[in-house]
Amino acid sequence: MAVAQPVGVYEREDLLTGCQAVAEGIRLANVDVIAAYPIRPYTEVMDAISKIIADGKLVAEYIVADSEHSQFEIVKHAASVGARAFAGSSGTGWMYGFEALVVTATDRLPVLFLVGNRALDDPGAFGVEHNDALAIRDMGWLLCWVATAQEALEHVLLGYRIAEDKHVRMPMALAMDGAFLTHSQHIVRIPSQEAVNRFLPPFDLGERRLHPDNPVSIAPQVNEDWVMEIRRQNWEAARRARRVIATAYEEFNQVFGQRYRPPYYFEEFLTDDAEVVLIGMGTVAMPARTAVRRLREQGHRVGYVNLRWFRPFPTEELRESLRRFRAVGVIDRDFAHGAPDDGGVLLHEVRSCLYPVRERPAVVNFITGLGGRDVSIQDAIRMFEITQEAAREDRLDGFVTWVGVRE
Amino acid sequence: MIKRVEINYRGIFQKTLAKRIGGDIVMIAARMGQVGFSNGRYSDAPERNGIPCKYFAFVSPDLSEEELEAECGAKLDIDEANISVVLDDTMVKGVEPWAWHGVRPINEKVVPYGYMLVVSRRRPEDLVRFMARKPYPYYLAILEGDASFAGLWVYRDDLTHERVLGALAALDPQLLSIEAVKGYLWDKTHEEHRVEAAQKAYESVRHNVHEVTPLQGIDWPYEIPKLPKWHEFSEGVVVKAVPREFHLGPKGQSRNQLFKRGTTKSQRPVVRFDLCTKCTLCWLECPDQCFDPTPDGYYDVDYEYCVGCGKCAEVCPVQECIVMVDELAFEDNRSPWEHWKRDPEGYIRWAEEKKGTHRVLPNVVTGTGQRVVEAEPVPVGGKPKPAARAGA
Amino acid sequence: MATADKVLVYDRIKGVKQIPLEEFYTSGHRTCQGCESATVMRQFIKAAGPRTVVAGSTGCMYVANTSYMTTPWIVPWMHTQLGAGGSSAVGMAAGLRALMRKNRIPQEKINVISFCGDLGGGDMGLSGISGALQTDYDLLIIMYDNESAANTDIQATGLTTWGAQTTFSPVGKVERIMHRRWKKNVAAMLAVGHPNCRYVATACATFPPLDFLNKVRKALSIGGPTFIHTYDPCPKGWDFHPRYSHELGELGVRSGLLPLYEIIDGEVVYTYDARKTAKGRIPVREYLTRQGRFAHLTEEDIAHIQRMVDQMWDEWEVPGVAPFRGTLKVSA
Ligand SMILES: Cc1ncc(C[n+]2csc(CCOP(=O)(O)OP(=O)(O)O)c2C)c(N)n1
Ligand code: SF4
Ligand code: SF4
Ligand code: SF4
Ligand SMILES: [Mg+2]
Repeated sequence: MAVAQPVGVYEREDLLTGCQAVAEGIRLANVDVIAAYPIRPYTEVMDAISKIIADGKLVAEYIVADSEHSQFEIVKHAASVGARAFAGSSGTGWMYGFEALVVTATDRLPVLFLVGNRALDDPGAFGVEHNDALAIRDMGWLLCWVATAQEALEHVLLGYRIAEDKHVRMPMALAMDGAFLTHSQHIVRIPSQEAVNRFLPPFDLGERRLHPDNPVSIAPQVNEDWVMEIRRQNWEAARRARRVIATAYEEFNQVFGQRYRPPYYFEEFLTDDAEVVLIGMGTVAMPARTAVRRLREQGHRVGYVNLRWFRPFPTEELRESLRRFRAVGVIDRDFAHGAPDDGGVLLHEVRSCLYPVRERPAVVNFITGLGGRDVSIQDAIRMFEITQEAAREDRLDGFVTWVGVRE
Repeated sequence: MIKRVEINYRGIFQKTLAKRIGGDIVMIAARMGQVGFSNGRYSDAPERNGIPCKYFAFVSPDLSEEELEAECGAKLDIDEANISVVLDDTMVKGVEPWAWHGVRPINEKVVPYGYMLVVSRRRPEDLVRFMARKPYPYYLAILEGDASFAGLWVYRDDLTHERVLGALAALDPQLLSIEAVKGYLWDKTHEEHRVEAAQKAYESVRHNVHEVTPLQGIDWPYEIPKLPKWHEFSEGVVVKAVPREFHLGPKGQSRNQLFKRGTTKSQRPVVRFDLCTKCTLCWLECPDQCFDPTPDGYYDVDYEYCVGCGKCAEVCPVQECIVMVDELAFEDNRSPWEHWKRDPEGYIRWAEEKKGTHRVLPNVVTGTGQRVVEAEPVPVGGKPKPAARAGA
Repeated sequence: MATADKVLVYDRIKGVKQIPLEEFYTSGHRTCQGCESATVMRQFIKAAGPRTVVAGSTGCMYVANTSYMTTPWIVPWMHTQLGAGGSSAVGMAAGLRALMRKNRIPQEKINVISFCGDLGGGDMGLSGISGALQTDYDLLIIMYDNESAANTDIQATGLTTWGAQTTFSPVGKVERIMHRRWKKNVAAMLAVGHPNCRYVATACATFPPLDFLNKVRKALSIGGPTFIHTYDPCPKGWDFHPRYSHELGELGVRSGLLPLYEIIDGEVVYTYDARKTAKGRIPVREYLTRQGRFAHLTEEDIAHIQRMVDQMWDEWEVPGVAPFRGTLKVSA
């Protein structure tokens, strides 16, 4: 996708896993405080960061915490004194620290977290599933999925840029599929520090910084006289974040060449003349795009929409995009048992996003790839076929298919 | 029709009492064929000792329970009260339950020709002179007695509960008839003295009801704070700290301007600066930081913030130097040290007059009573006796 | 038993006249009349001074203090979660150190203090506090112990005195005593498990005078992570008249139920000698009968508590601190 890049913005190329690419991003962002706790698959990022620090390539406080709750509280409080902070987790560990995740958002502290997506216990499982990260979808976090190691690195920089913007100041969760991205190695171009410095300003919490020179009280107790107004403020921040996200990508492109195309929140693949598309998040993009190519060779007008930003949800942009198609197949690598039509989380977001459109496409849903089950090209082709059928039948009801389950 | 009864009480000390009164209003009204329910003001909890709180009872002779609930239950406070019960008369000086609420007049919610029922040993005019002037007439009824004082675990069964129910029957027989009150108490306890207590209160209160006209009362000196709109205060749940400021003398220490919690107290310390040895203990041990060190080494009191715990009086090593005095003996919160500096002898005479001759020493376990001892006031220029530590 | 002050260079407050006059936690909080935990707040920050950042866990000292979008704090303060007494301190200390290392804020000593209650710190947050005490950050964790989950209206915790009535341990028709856990000795437990933590102490804000202030000064000057456990009479939950809260603290210490000690670089120093032989020791009855929460105890119950306290002081290898007996024995 990369077109002509300005010279000198990359310092080298390296073979990196998704986790290692994030660690390079952390180094380049000159993060101040990092708190670690082990859990697969995100752990590798902490392995990599500790080595970077041990090798003297980053000056930072690196703390091995006693639990995820402490890990998350440590970075929250580090951010409160004005430090750029990083943590992360996966699956059940993410849930263990959930209380801290919620307050980090309500305190509006712009830390960055890596979520290496992992199925929730029980039974214990290592494979990818998106329910862990999705659990914070309503809590005031920025939440974004990346699909390649290169994107992962770049979204660390973009993530801090957006989260720390004074119009936003929300925590940022960078989600990536466990195993498929966290652990597979790809060649990644690593930006130069000089270029990064041009893009990413230092963190400044301004008048909210906890320091003897700026005496403030953060999060005093409130009653019903206050909570609605505070929630209203946070809503406003989430709204402003949409603008800031677009600006940040534009700035990123200015420094690094045309890496990303509008509307940035999602990326369309061969959709111009498509009648039917699939939409999904994360590494499912690879088999899906491959399926698009193969089906197109056979004359099918299909395309793929890779949704990056789940929070804030790109309502307007996605609505304008999806309304062009006759049918949309939503891929959920998550479950929402008992939800309307028993569809996944993304289904409901996409469907409600399309609701105001009078002539809306048929929407069907696929629950797939749970617990690390792979999603093959063949699976993707099958999902296209079901969606095409929905387009022919002009179905409007939620039609959920589990793809890849033993039946 | 809805009858709203509000029960004003001091946190914890009368919590159980207020809740029982509220509950029994509902039970007795039900005996009379009415519907009702009762609840506490949610934001009062967790209640802190001394803080002004409210309990409510709602009764209707004609509405369904659902309608009554919709009218009254969905609100956390009430807009108007047909009867406002006050279990501790020092609350007539105003109540500020939490920050950003403001010091509210105790009679704020009373409707035209509604009732205030105050447990007190004072004359009506001695209460009205602290209360806000209202644009319409209402009634002040007095139930002779002391504020009931109990702790969290030891309920003080001093019959205030039964007496308030009897008094309510005197004020509004449609709400509670005295027969229903008595019948209920008898059925519930089979104890004659409880029924009698209600009956006696019923009779005495009927002769202790006074109309308060729009001419009576004071212009309320406190402003009610205006809550800011969502975009009018800073994001990220951050408030500015209290600005750092300290100098010797009255109000030399900066304090939280948005919550002066003086309405928590039912007593205040009166200080005989002339007896003070400057030992620092009152200042050091006040949990509310109310003492301002003065340039001459004394400790002035900022009564706006004093909650009346009595610790300073307890720790002061000098007999008669700090004495706790009923809050209704005072009109204002001005600096006692300045008063003393301006007019030393006048201040001492004033202080002794306020102190009177009785010293009330509460027993240590809350609500188990108190000892009253005759004081030996120290005259101007006199020497105090060494203090004995109380706490038996 | 050593009672002398360990040789430790710190800015000692030698007499009441030397106590700083200025407040950094000021009037206008919604704590109970006579709240001793409020006195702990006031004194720790008086001892620490204005170049301090404070985090406070959920509990009375959060909810009652910062009453609805106002604050009594003059120093910077931030709420932290119930179990985050340790991690909040680590976060602030790490953030400040990183920013100083990178010259983004001026180099200076900024005290980092986090406080938590007995439930937040002594039960829920133990793991986080343990983590904090293993770091090399300069920080102080103060666990203010009012012997209940006070803010939620007085429920039993692992630090509530045996037999006490709480809303989770009411007196019933069949069970007189619902709370049968012996008070957890948090300070000593932490000291035993964290030999690199140079200062651990227990204290009572008002007894002996100046003791707590100086313990805070010591903790902040010795370096590294430190911990102080304070015993705070709570007029609401313990049910005594607010005017006597200082006295209840003193009685608790003198009865031996609340041992006062500091452990400086591994050496135990008692700041109150409550052995039977010591003249200051009083029967626990004098302490218990002054609180409504113990009104239901029988003579036998009181005797049981007395026996436990006697054991603590007269049989333990390190009285009031470590419940071990005997010397090194190797099994065959
Ligand atoms: C994770 C979590 N669980 C429960 C609560 C409810 N809660 C608020 S304050 C409190 C009591 C805390 O007790 P303690 O730490 O002893 O402090 P105190 O209230 O006694 O000052 C509890 C249980 C909470 N805020 N957070
Ligand atoms: S009574 Fe005394 S100790 Fe208590 S708040 Fe008032 S001034 Fe302070
Ligand atoms: S406690 Fe009494 S003697 Fe001591 S300074 Fe206060 S008023 Fe003076
Ligand atoms: S309940 Fe106890 S700790 Fe809480 S504010 Fe009241 S006295 Fe203080
Ligand atoms: Mg507690």
